[in-house]
Amino acid sequence: MLKIFSKFQKVIGVALTGIALVLTQSLIPTSANAAQVPLNLANEQGMLWPCSFNPFNPSSAPYSVGVTYETLSFVNSLQSGKSTPWLATSSTWSNSNKTLTFTIRDGVKWSDGTALTSGDVAYTFNLLKKNPALDINAVWSVLSSVTASGNNVTMQFAQSAVPYYYYIAGQVPIVSQSVWSKIANPVTDPIKNPIGTGGYIMSKCTPQNIQWTNNPNYWQSGKAVVKVVNMPAFLSNDTCNQYLATGQSQWGSQFIPSIESYYVKKKAGNTYWFPPVANVSLFPNLTVPGLNDVAVRKAISYGIDRVAVNNIGEYGYEPAASQTGVVTPTFSSWLDAASSTAIGKSYDPAKAESILKAAGYAKDAKGIYAKAGKELAFTLSTNGGYSDWVAAMQVVATQLGKIGIKITVAPIAASTFYSNLYAGKYQLAYNAESGGPTPFYEMRQWLYSKNSAPIGTAASSNWERFSDPAVDKLLDQYGATTDSASQHSITNQLQQVMVNQLPVIPVLEEVDWFQYNSKAFTGYPSPSNPYAQPGLYNIPDWGYVLDNLKPGA
Amino acid sequence: MKFLLRRVGFLLIALWAALTLNFFIPRLMPGNPAQAMMAKFHGHVNPLALKALEVAFGVNTHQNLISEYFQYLGNTLTGNLGVSVSYFPLSVTSVIAKALPWSLALVGVATIFAFAIGTVLGAITAWRRGGILDNLMPPVFIVVSAFPYFWVGLLSIWLFALTLGWFPLLGGYDETATPTFTWGFIVNILWHAVLPAFTIIITSIGGWILTMRNNMLTVLSEDYVKMARAKGLKNKRIIWQYAGRNAFLPNLTGFAMSLGFVISGAILVEYVYNYPGVGFMLLQAVVNEDYALMQALFLLITVAVLVSIFISDILTAVLDPRTRVQT
Repeated sequence: MLKIFSKFQKVIGVALTGIALVLTQSLIPTSANAAQVPLNLANEQGMLWPCSFNPFNPSSAPYSVGVTYETLSFVNSLQSGKSTPWLATSSTWSNSNKTLTFTIRDGVKWSDGTALTSGDVAYTFNLLKKNPALDINAVWSVLSSVTASGNNVTMQFAQSAVPYYYYIAGQVPIVSQSVWSKIANPVTDPIKNPIGTGGYIMSKCTPQNIQWTNNPNYWQSGKAVVKVVNMPAFLSNDTCNQYLATGQSQWGSQFIPSIESYYVKKKAGNTYWFPPVANVSLFPNLTVPGLNDVAVRKAISYGIDRVAVNNIGEYGYEPAASQTGVVTPTFSSWLDAASSTAIGKSYDPAKAESILKAAGYAKDAKGIYAKAGKELAFTLSTNGGYSDWVAAMQVVATQLGKIGIKITVAPIAASTFYSNLYAGKYQLAYNAESGGPTPFYEMRQWLYSKNSAPIGTAASSNWERFSDPAVDKLLDQYGATTDSASQHSITNQLQQVMVNQLPVIPVLEEVDWFQYNSKAFTGYPSPSNPYAQPGLYNIPDWGYVLDNLKPGA
Repeated sequence: MKFLLRRVGFLLIALWAALTLNFFIPRLMPGNPAQAMMAKFHGHVNPLALKALEVAFGVNTHQNLISEYFQYLGNTLTGNLGVSVSYFPLSVTSVIAKALPWSLALVGVATIFAFAIGTVLGAITAWRRGGILDNLMPPVFIVVSAFPYFWVGLLSIWLFALTLGWFPLLGGYDETATPTFTWGFIVNILWHAVLPAFTIIITSIGGWILTMRNNMLTVLSEDYVKMARAKGLKNKRIIWQYAGRNAFLPNLTGFAMSLGFVISGAILVEYVYNYPGVGFMLLQAVVNEDYALMQALFLLITVAVLVSIFISDILTAVLDPRTRVQT
């Protein structure tokens, strides 16, 4: 017979003893690191670490590219694509910008002790050619061959694509031929022990934490001096923000509401800097009646008080964007004066309404502008997972309501939102592009007709389905030139397209989330020295920053 | 024997139905895993990576649904659960193996504690009807049970971790420690488990107390309990062997169900305490349209619930002869 019940009391007794035991042990000893405190990173990704470090997998690349694997050059998005030599000492364009030659640095060693050669570089690129699943930057859409000879690696292009320098030199991590040639399936191999040339070696990984230690034989002497770096896994933003605010972490890339009181005032040295890098924009579906009318798009742009959207929806963190599409102050030198003048006042509700009237729209009984019985009433979809975006769009809806355009905000679950956006099954959508080191990259993502696709088929960018042969020609011309003056002149013309045709309506500037304690470690990027993007998700930037950090006094 | 066969038959049919639903429901979601992954990158990845991801995940190599279904049934039976796309390229089995022990230990132990303590307290309050315990406990626990998990969790983090600093803020163990089989590490784990376990026990114990108390009250008014008293049996024996054993039966099925759901972890508890279990993993699998991981976790939950109900049915039959006779 089971005597469960009489045993319950015993069970409870044992349990209480256990709890008491745990309580008395609550001050457990932690192993002291005598020399230097570890640098702890606050980077909430909503998952436990899979401990896979394949640098060609977009999910695991942020934990290996930059820290462990290095690229040929470092291309700085905060300084208009300024390129600094990294694994390559120099690079030259020739053959009317259809050949790119890199000279590979001598004296660089992989963490397994073997030397980096030009053969490794050529092997890396040909690995991507063989495995399109690894070519996340689609470099083989423009390349035709990559060969090594002596210290040089020569890349032949099928078409001139100068802006691809950013992806080829700045984004593709170089891997070791001797290691990777032994990997049976480089697509599905998790790469548990990454062998790179970088300043840090992944020394320990558990689902809760990734730990790096500095590479004692790093080729750049005087760099990578922070000894131990931890990146704990966070499931929720709140826990991660607490970890940062309590001072356990010294470098974070978190969205923190009310950052002044929550973070800055908590500890001396707590600082933040949110450099803008791209736009968050309204993408009007250009196949939808009403939105295909440039007058309506113009009215929408003039009807949005972007400063108020930022203050109410984003705690003032994301500066108002410009209809030119150029992110300021990051890319101020690219701004076209004529386009800025043409816009005039960016928020002008009276002008918005007069544009609608001039285009033949009239207010109906409900106070909504209409033409031929068709009201200007649209659904604005946004990713329901980002509460700040939803709040910002509510503000936009109210503002546009005032100028007689009815907007219904639809916060949609992320996967549905993206699948509708890619397929063009939406009216207005609020989203951001990844951008790049000059305004051209974001404009090409927005405007190049080859990035688009018919309604119903997934378009990787150009979701609004904009198509203009003249604009395509401008974008191709930019791709063929290394001349700064022509690049500026083309970017000016693209801004005029943005201002006159409004294929995309930038609302706010997307920023890099970056908090740090200036006392614990020094050498972080700052407004006066923006040498790399500081967010912990930027590759290879955060590894580049890590190489430059020093322990504080 | 006939009873046992019937239960086994039911178990198999329920399993098959669950497997089938498990296959078709996730496929009704819009989009594909590659697009869901792009959504997760917050625009920090080149948009052209979409194509590379589709190649890596084999998104466009569509076979027809029916042959995929039979392949899935076969794979599931042979324990091949596929590759997780959100933890690509890890296999679902290895991803779950890392997280499941944490959920099992934390949520499992906390559920058993809550059930054991709740049942004993429920029985005692019923026995001492009108006593201090009976006046105090049911109202208090009705209120406490209504507290949401995450609220109690956040409150206890604020009080015990942030303000008093008695317990760690987050995680299943010190995040920089390496899991080993040493006394120090085990203590570390227990120390980290106190707050989350406390939260689960506090919010779930009330239900057990109330149902046990109510069952007990009904049973205590039965003639055989009066008979036992009349015979002069010890109170302890009457409570546990006579009344308790019968009052306990309805609770047993509820307990079996909740044990089954231990597999799914406690999503909110894991979220609030940043605990490395499977509950939050399940939520993420759904968000990322990680079919393989989602299916495996749902499968585990279903199997766990079905098997625990099966066991509780058998156990009920052992404890209560009446259930055996019905034909």
